Amino acid sequence: MNKTLKLLLFLGIVSAVSGLAIGAVNSVVAPVIEENDIKAEKKNLSAIFPESEFEQIEYENEKILTVYKAEDKGYVVKATTIGFNASEPIIILVGFDTEGNTVAVKPLRQQETDGFGSKCFEKANIESLYVGRDLDTEVDLLAGATFTSNAMREMITEAQNVIREIK
Amino acid sequence: MWKSFKDCFIKDNPVFGLFLGMCSTLAISTSLNNAIGMGLSVTFVLILSNVIISAMRKIIPDEIRIPVYIVVIATLVSILQMLLHAYMPEVYTSLGAFLSLIVVNCIILGRAEAFASKNPIGPSAIDGLGMGLGYTFALLLISATRELLSTWGLAFYNPFNAEHILFKFTLPFDSFKITLFSSPVGAFLTFAVFAAIFTKIRNEAAKKEEGK
Repeated sequence: MNKTLKLLLFLGIVSAVSGLAIGAVNSVVAPVIEENDIKAEKKNLSAIFPESEFEQIEYENEKILTVYKAEDKGYVVKATTIGFNASEPIIILVGFDTEGNTVAVKPLRQQETDGFGSKCFEKANIESLYVGRDLDTEVDLLAGATFTSNAMREMITEAQNVIREIK
Repeated sequence: MWKSFKDCFIKDNPVFGLFLGMCSTLAISTSLNNAIGMGLSVTFVLILSNVIISAMRKIIPDEIRIPVYIVVIATLVSILQMLLHAYMPEVYTSLGAFLSLIVVNCIILGRAEAFASKNPIGPSAIDGLGMGLGYTFALLLISATRELLSTWGLAFYNPFNAEHILFKFTLPFDSFKITLFSSPVGAFLTFAVFAAIFTKIRNEAAKKEEGK
């Protein structure tokens, strides 16, 4: 009994020290990470509409994270959803022109199965499946990536609906 | 002590000699940048975990030594992950899940159990450095070969700033490139060839020693 208590105490102390160390490092690097994220977001937005100012529009639901208005050029929606990998959501940027047509899709984060779901994020597939297409009526899926393609289609359609509602 | 450090590269190379840490080796060895990033990350964790575990080797109760090792290693990996996320975001994104999987990289737990728990701090640190660099060396060999064959060129950018390209070249006649080598199949092929070469070198050396 005494022995068990000692072991427990030892492991407890080691874990506490570990927690403190992680907390200390986190408090130092968290602001840097946040700053990086903002910089990276700006860079991603400029990849869709170069040389444009972006203004954030208040809108949020389960799939839509943020909506940006790019002057009079169009809109960019940051959207998220779950594909096949339930532990890691997909995050993408979708660019729309002022009419609400998809002009660009840029994946920001995804950990879908390599070689299957990940195919949805290849440049050629993005261009043939999503850009400039009306996903309400045209339903193309990638073989071997049904879950991911469906999730992508629903997410982009949702973003499109939001833009049509806003403008 | 320095002899065992040298052994970490050819004779006791963690990847080609001890066959440890192969999952990450096969998975991330697609480009030079990945190899350097992963290799140095593992070296960082390996040196520190060896030092900490060696310093605590007399007070860690024998029954719970493995959980304690894992807590120490996991802490170091979390810290490393945060640092990379803040200061080398490109490396952080391209290594992805394999960064957190360093926790279960068997080189680290293996060295903690086999070496650091029985030796003083100094030799443990050197063992960590040697094993880490041996792992980096193996990763560099595999990934340089794979990148060269699959893209017919090599590229290396500054890990602190992805836009700063340190060197980049492409070979002529790029229709000879074999994209297969960027896939897992290519990883296994490259790995097998290098493992065979290393075994050959080891056997030759052993024969020479016998001959003496």
